Amino acid sequence: MGEANLVKTICGYCGTGCGLVLEVQDNKIVKIRGDKEAPVNKGQTCVKGAFAYEYVHAKKRLTAPLIRRAGELVETTWEEAYQFIASKLFDVKSKWGSNAISMFACARSTNESNYITQKFMRTVIGSNNIDGCNRT
Amino acid sequence: MGSNTTEAHPIIANRMKKAAKAGLKIIVVDPRKIEMTKVAHRHLQINVGTDIALINAIIRVILKEGLYNQKFIEQFTIDFDKLTNQVELYTPEYAAKITGLAPEEIVATAREYANASASMIAYTLGITEHHCGVNNVFDIANLALLTGNIGKPGSGIMPLRGQNNVQGAGDMGCLPNQLAGAMSLTNDEYRARYEKEWNITLNPQAGDTQTRTFDRLEMGELKGLYVIGENPLLADVDMNHTKTLFKKLDLLIVQDIFLTETAKMADVVLPARSWGEVEGTYTNTDRRIQRVRKAVEPGPNTKEDWVILCELATLMGYPMHYNNSEEIWDEVRKIAWEMYGGISYERLEKEYSIHYPCPDENHPGTFIMHERFHQNEAASKKAPFVPVDYTPPMEPPDEEYPFTLTTGRRYESYNTHTQTRHYAAGVKIRQTEETVDIHPEDAKALGIVDGEIVQVRSRRGELQVKVKITEQVVPGLVFMSFHWSETPTNVLTLNEYDPISGTAEYKACAVAIERIN
Repeated sequence: MGEANLVKTICGYCGTGCGLVLEVQDNKIVKIRGDKEAPVNKGQTCVKGAFAYEYVHAKKRLTAPLIRRAGELVETTWEEAYQFIASKLFDVKSKWGSNAISMFACARSTNESNYITQKFMRTVIGSNNIDGCNRT
Repeated sequence: MGSNTTEAHPIIANRMKKAAKAGLKIIVVDPRKIEMTKVAHRHLQINVGTDIALINAIIRVILKEGLYNQKFIEQFTIDFDKLTNQVELYTPEYAAKITGLAPEEIVATAREYANASASMIAYTLGITEHHCGVNNVFDIANLALLTGNIGKPGSGIMPLRGQNNVQGAGDMGCLPNQLAGAMSLTNDEYRARYEKEWNITLNPQAGDTQTRTFDRLEMGELKGLYVIGENPLLADVDMNHTKTLFKKLDLLIVQDIFLTETAKMADVVLPARSWGEVEGTYTNTDRRIQRVRKAVEPGPNTKEDWVILCELATLMGYPMHYNNSEEIWDEVRKIAWEMYGGISYERLEKEYSIHYPCPDENHPGTFIMHERFHQNEAASKKAPFVPVDYTPPMEPPDEEYPFTLTTGRRYESYNTHTQTRHYAAGVKIRQTEETVDIHPEDAKALGIVDGEIVQVRSRRGELQVKVKITEQVVPGLVFMSFHWSETPTNVLTLNEYDPISGTAEYKACAVAIERIN
């Protein structure tokens, strides 16, 4: 067993923005407590924030890109997945125009990833068809 | 209003409960007897979807009794006359008939809200997930403006946001009509700023909302869809319909951490990195920017969302390169400096959180918005009252479908439950499967008992689910969440939307409940 390492972060569930301290051992989160220095929660956590973290290490996590072949999703390489996506997006764009493509962004991802998401859509695709789960 | 705070925002609920003990008067407006009612001074248990009847009646009482803020209205608002005309019909007695409340409760609430030194309205999806969601929000704003309850400590309108970064995603420009920094896409000056920074000409036409995307998919106009970290198949209303629409796509790309129900329909699935594996920032419900940090090394063949998009962009002829998330954030700070210019990673390390707008390094951040309303400045832009009328839910119960189904969240589960299936070992979970929550009188009339499996049917679909008998709901009203893919509640819900926001009426549809022989 390696020594526990403490990492401060913000909870990834609801919009409250609670500060958490993650106890990490052998590259696994082993315990979470509320951060007493956090202005929002001052050390408190709810059941999700404190205990619902095992998904990060779940066996069911996706570990490789998947592509549909003969009706089934099968593992592939990043290169092939990228080539497939790029050529299909080009096809749709040239045949139907950039307005025939839409993107659903992720309200769980970081500001930085979301900024890049809309930049991708507006520059590469040339469309403003981008939205999140604001409406659900 | 319409916020099950203890289950959906437990830590905010704790702070409300603590404040209640210290003397804060909390009025809960909710069709269900939710836990927050225990600390509430008053519970207005209204019929589902009758918020506007209630608010208009409250406004009318405030007008008739002269409890409004005359000076504030003159200085900062327009269209006050329109409001007074519109609410004239909404006597407490008239609103009582619609809402199911007593007229005295409405009058007392109006006096309490208007007479308090400061009143805040916190709301959640119980307000917005209706065909009239935008009108509900307009009416809340009418009430706040009428009494000057905005721009000072303890007042205002507080939508409690449901995801860790739903505020940030929109602020970053993941909206069809808005660029990063809440800048309108149709504003030539803002667009020019982005065109210069990105070295490209931008499409000036606002794009499609998710709702409009589904409409255009139905019409055959949409061919390709790229979904990042969302599971619309399970989360959106009228699931059988959503599934049919997704089958019409030429190309469905899903980027996620699990093979969700939506990912199973994709042509290609990209394995992303999750919370705990990435660096960056989130924006919480009260505009705080805070740092999120990497705690563990991710799987070797996974990639972070922004890395995937940069690599794809580069392959497709628009090179994007960043060494880390801080470089991206600094681009945001530069381009949307009015909002984020002063919020550096370095400052966040020291100060923990900073509220935007924060234009420069010496700015403390903006804890309260709209303070100009109390600084006796001439208002550069006056706030209009937007009077609205009550419209009943789109699908009222009838003989064939005698119950109203309202949907929401439960404490231990989160949205489509792909993550909260994985709790740490040894944690006792109370609710491990979906139930239909029904009042004892209704259960008795149907001859069903607690724990029995029943059939629930709407005009759009049906499912089987376990019965939970509870007085949290009133007779005629049943409740379900949409957490479990084994019991996909959204096969039942109604495909009707608010015309402005595109938000669906998750909170009310008609269902029938039957015993299984």
